[in-house]
Amino acid sequence: MADSANEERLVHELQRELERELDRSLDDAELQRVKELVRAQLEAELRAKQRRIAREKEQAEEYFVRFSLNVCLQHLVLAIGVILLTITGLPIKFHDSAWAEFIFRHIWSLEVNRIIHRVGASLLMFVTVWHIGWLMTREGRRELRELLPRVKDLWDFIANVKFMLGLSSERPKFGRYSYSEKFEYWALVWGTAVMVLSGLMLWFHRITLAYLPKYIFDVALQAHSGEALLAILALITWHMYHAHLNPEVFPMNMTIFTGKISKKRMIEEHPLEYEQIMRERAGAERP
Amino acid sequence: MRQLLALGMVLISLGLGSELSYGQRDPNARCLLECHGTSDFKREVAPGQFKSLYVDYEQFKTSVHKDKLCIDCHTDVTAIPHQRRPEQIHCLQCHYQGNVVGAPVSERPEKYKESVHGKAFARGDPNAPDCKHCHTVHSVRAPTDPLSPVYRANIPKTCGSCHIEIYTEYLESVHGQALRNNILESAVCSDCHREHDLFPPDDPRSSLHPQNVANTCARCHADVKIMERRGVPVKQVEAFKKSFHGIAIEFEVLKSANCVSCHGYHKILSSRDPRSPIYPLNLANTCGQCHPNASENVARGRFHIIPSDPGAGIVFWVYEFYRWLTIVMTAGFIFYIVLDLYGRWRHARRGSHG
Repeated sequence: MADSANEERLVHELQRELERELDRSLDDAELQRVKELVRAQLEAELRAKQRRIAREKEQAEEYFVRFSLNVCLQHLVLAIGVILLTITGLPIKFHDSAWAEFIFRHIWSLEVNRIIHRVGASLLMFVTVWHIGWLMTREGRRELRELLPRVKDLWDFIANVKFMLGLSSERPKFGRYSYSEKFEYWALVWGTAVMVLSGLMLWFHRITLAYLPKYIFDVALQAHSGEALLAILALITWHMYHAHLNPEVFPMNMTIFTGKISKKRMIEEHPLEYEQIMRERAGAERP
Repeated sequence: MRQLLALGMVLISLGLGSELSYGQRDPNARCLLECHGTSDFKREVAPGQFKSLYVDYEQFKTSVHKDKLCIDCHTDVTAIPHQRRPEQIHCLQCHYQGNVVGAPVSERPEKYKESVHGKAFARGDPNAPDCKHCHTVHSVRAPTDPLSPVYRANIPKTCGSCHIEIYTEYLESVHGQALRNNILESAVCSDCHREHDLFPPDDPRSSLHPQNVANTCARCHADVKIMERRGVPVKQVEAFKKSFHGIAIEFEVLKSANCVSCHGYHKILSSRDPRSPIYPLNLANTCGQCHPNASENVARGRFHIIPSDPGAGIVFWVYEFYRWLTIVMTAGFIFYIVLDLYGRWRHARRGSHG
């Protein structure tokens, strides 16, 4: 309806313009030709618009596989383990507090707490072994290469800070893993190493005390306690922000659970990787 | 009984010649003059076995009851000499709530009834102590009176009169040795066991229940003044409560070690004493009671450490390292996040205007 009105208006305008230029009225045949011309033009415009909408829609729905199922499952097991360790570790560290007292007196006993903590520890150690095994596979080796820190990460960081401060107008282009993701990965590696090593010394304290001096045991206990708090604070600031509270992904970045990332986010967050994938595809398509 | 009285009369006539410690006008004089003031006045309880009925009146006149009459307590004695043996008397016949003679009343007798001693006594255990066993009968003195059996310095001896083996152990301990050297603030039996509310250690009300031991020791060992005077570290109890053992005990894992598990109790000795369970060479054995593999390694390190205290040595430095690392990292994270949000906000605003 709106289109036919539009069409009528356009025909009318063209007619008036032609009449003014020719200084006479258009005859019926001429008017018919004008009408056909306008219709053809409008139809072409409409088709172009539809094509554009379809392409945008396709781009939005197009996704890339960012993580394999293996990686997603590793993250899931790690997350469950860390949550169990946190909820049972914090009340031990803050045993003087009222909430710790409430937990131990009314929710679960210290003995149950100890069992849950060790279940969490077992999950963490299990996923650690799994991850080390996975790093030896072709996929793991490739991912590890991508995760290695490079000088570019430092420049990216500086460039990003400049961008955020408004000192530069362009965001640095990240590859498969940005410096913040690499930082978190290596922080996790370090944290897990400290926690597992010190935790095993505490868990198997009989063996520890049979072979190592008491002060080493005390150091392990203090490191376990200190590193734990550091890790938890990193999780509720760095990780919570990047995976949940960040406006780009709020309320939750599902990529680590589904393995999928949209083309839009791929282009925004990992432009170098995107370009590389596109080049590879083009290369594969060419014989 | 007649024989006895006759004997008494004889003795009195003998005693009249001796010096008397009481005046003839003393209302108690009749009891003493005629019988009980004579040191060998006694009764044959079994053939050849006698029980002394002598009352040391000099002692009585320095006791808290010095203004009382014999018959104030021995109320069934209405005529002197009495015809029958007076009934057993008990402190509670005056020391009860609402008494009219002005006898001080406290909760102690009630506490005593609940105690191990009170319960054993109620069961009829002939060895169980009643008030008089600690406070004496006729020469009851205030606990502040150095001659009282319940005066601090005399308590171990008083308890030791029944618990003789423990008494000898105690005398060897640091507490016993200090007490012998007239250091009255040293721990005596009742400081740890309490006196009237003395419960077995498995009773949660007991001062020596596993969950209460640390607090019992803390009454002195967390007292800065006492510990400074004696040159003993004062943070041991606090450190214990922060330790694995302390946390476990607090939250009902009663098998965990408390103070006495390692230090012993009656015979607590200095860590410099080779007989002590906490003498470095003995630690492997002591820890080994619970941790079977413990070796001499357990002696290599400090005990009762508080990580935030420089006295904790290397643990203090680990604590400091993590403290600063955590502060710096967390502040950095938050700063970065704020910066990132600011950048995005700025970008979004410019984007919408451009």
